[in-house]
Amino acid sequence: MSEYVISTENLSKTYGFLFWKKEKPSLDKLTLKIPKGVVFGFLGPNGAGKTTTIKLFMDLIKPSSGTVSILGKPAGDIEVKRKIGFLPDAPAFSQYLKAYEFLMICAKLLRIPSSERKKRIEEVLAKVKMTEYAKSKLGGFSRGMLQRIGIAQAMLNKPEILILDEPLTGLDPHGRQELKDIIIAQKKAGTNVFFSSHILSDVETMCDQIGILHRGKLLCHGELNSLLSEKGCRVMIAAGKEDIAKELMPDSIKSHKLNNGGWELEFDEDEKFKEKLNLMKEKEGNFITIMPSTENLETFFFRTIENNIKTVNLNAEGI
Amino acid sequence: MNEILAIAGGTWRRILRMRAVYFLILCVMVLIASAINYDVLSLDHHKDLMIDFSLVLNTLAVVLIVISVTFEIPVELREGVASTLLSKPLGRTHYLVGKALGTSITGLIISAIIIAGFFIIFNFAFGERISMAMLQSHVLVALSVIPMSAMAVFFSVIIPEMITPIVTAIAIWFAFSTSALANVKILYGGILPALDLYNFKSFAVYGEKINWDYIGLSILWGLAFSTFALSLASLIFRQKDIK
Repeated sequence: MSEYVISTENLSKTYGFLFWKKEKPSLDKLTLKIPKGVVFGFLGPNGAGKTTTIKLFMDLIKPSSGTVSILGKPAGDIEVKRKIGFLPDAPAFSQYLKAYEFLMICAKLLRIPSSERKKRIEEVLAKVKMTEYAKSKLGGFSRGMLQRIGIAQAMLNKPEILILDEPLTGLDPHGRQELKDIIIAQKKAGTNVFFSSHILSDVETMCDQIGILHRGKLLCHGELNSLLSEKGCRVMIAAGKEDIAKELMPDSIKSHKLNNGGWELEFDEDEKFKEKLNLMKEKEGNFITIMPSTENLETFFFRTIENNIKTVNLNAEGI
Repeated sequence: MNEILAIAGGTWRRILRMRAVYFLILCVMVLIASAINYDVLSLDHHKDLMIDFSLVLNTLAVVLIVISVTFEIPVELREGVASTLLSKPLGRTHYLVGKALGTSITGLIISAIIIAGFFIIFNFAFGERISMAMLQSHVLVALSVIPMSAMAVFFSVIIPEMITPIVTAIAIWFAFSTSALANVKILYGGILPALDLYNFKSFAVYGEKINWDYIGLSILWGLAFSTFALSLASLIFRQKDIK
């Protein structure tokens, strides 16, 4: 049994065929290893290649090169598919079917024993709060309701891995909170969750690990806490004392702002940081607090993307 | 097999929930019954005319049901319904076979309704029970849905959505003309089914019994053609990127 639930090796996808093949790949040599028991957030702007990656996981599209392995087996393996719950981007279902009928078809496809099907469908409908719409036709459902049915069908088989493509899109704030609760409950129950999202604050509250994709390339991935917590230190000092810090560490100050009657200075961490702090103290620096400076996910996300754009532009200019 | 039946179930539910299908059956019944009014125009051959009408209209109804699948598969692929289904433990071949099976079963059901309706109308109009030849001819029309469905699924997979129904309709017309276009047959070398095998209007009209062995062989031929067409479609579909 593999130690990773999802593992890709130099996975690339270029759409098109022969002469109609696009110049740039939608996904470029993605190597990603997702260990068991984590909630993984897959981030990236529109067109970054998130949905392409997810479709490659589900064997809905074929890779141009590279490999995908899910639970140690190649993507598309029927046995593995039985252990996956998948919510596509913008879920669309047969409009003429009633919610219950659609879930019954899914239950049959998932080979859930006939004696359990009804109970399982009722359970998932209750989880997504759609019990009262079980006998309604899917054609009359709003985007948010379809999203809930999509989540219900993804959980029908009590999956080992939940792969959700933009699950929070289309839901109202209440629905989003409910879905977040469902994802957290799934994680507690031992389900591995992989999901893509644009809503960074939600990713920050739910994910253990993240990956940022931009223009088909994976810019970074790893533990969310370690990615966000290694950048410098914040120091609060009394008003009027900020000139001391500026004098001592002119190159290290990232930002300074007046905050609650004191100055909040943000430093880039360097080797002599502690030494400089002591010097500040000796020169009557009146500290209020010293705390590690953590970026939030939003700042980290934009910084990572901007850095990549700068690098790409520099490369294009041949610098 | 359960997966195939689940997909087939979705297809026949869709068709049987279309109001247009019931309107079509009603129109077919009215047109069959209208043959009774052509006694003068047909020089008292209106009974033969009704038999002929019933077979033609039964065929037409089956063709329309089959054409509907050429809308269903491309729409499911375009709108992402197929990606939800194919993310389940379902092979792509199973998906296609399920669609063909669902269409065939629905075609058989609709055809059976039309046959029953025709028998009632015929009995009511002429006070006669239908002959075995009439029943056999109608059964053959109903069975033609099997190769036609496979052909529709094949075209739904290999050609662009916009022209699939037209190409399928033309292909069906060609396939029904294999005797008339015997010289052209070599051009399509068996890719299109010889649907003429299912056309026994004259037998029905003149009361000539068809050999049951022939009907059995027609079923086997239909299944063999369907296997061939669906295998080819599956080969292509397995390489296709699903939206």
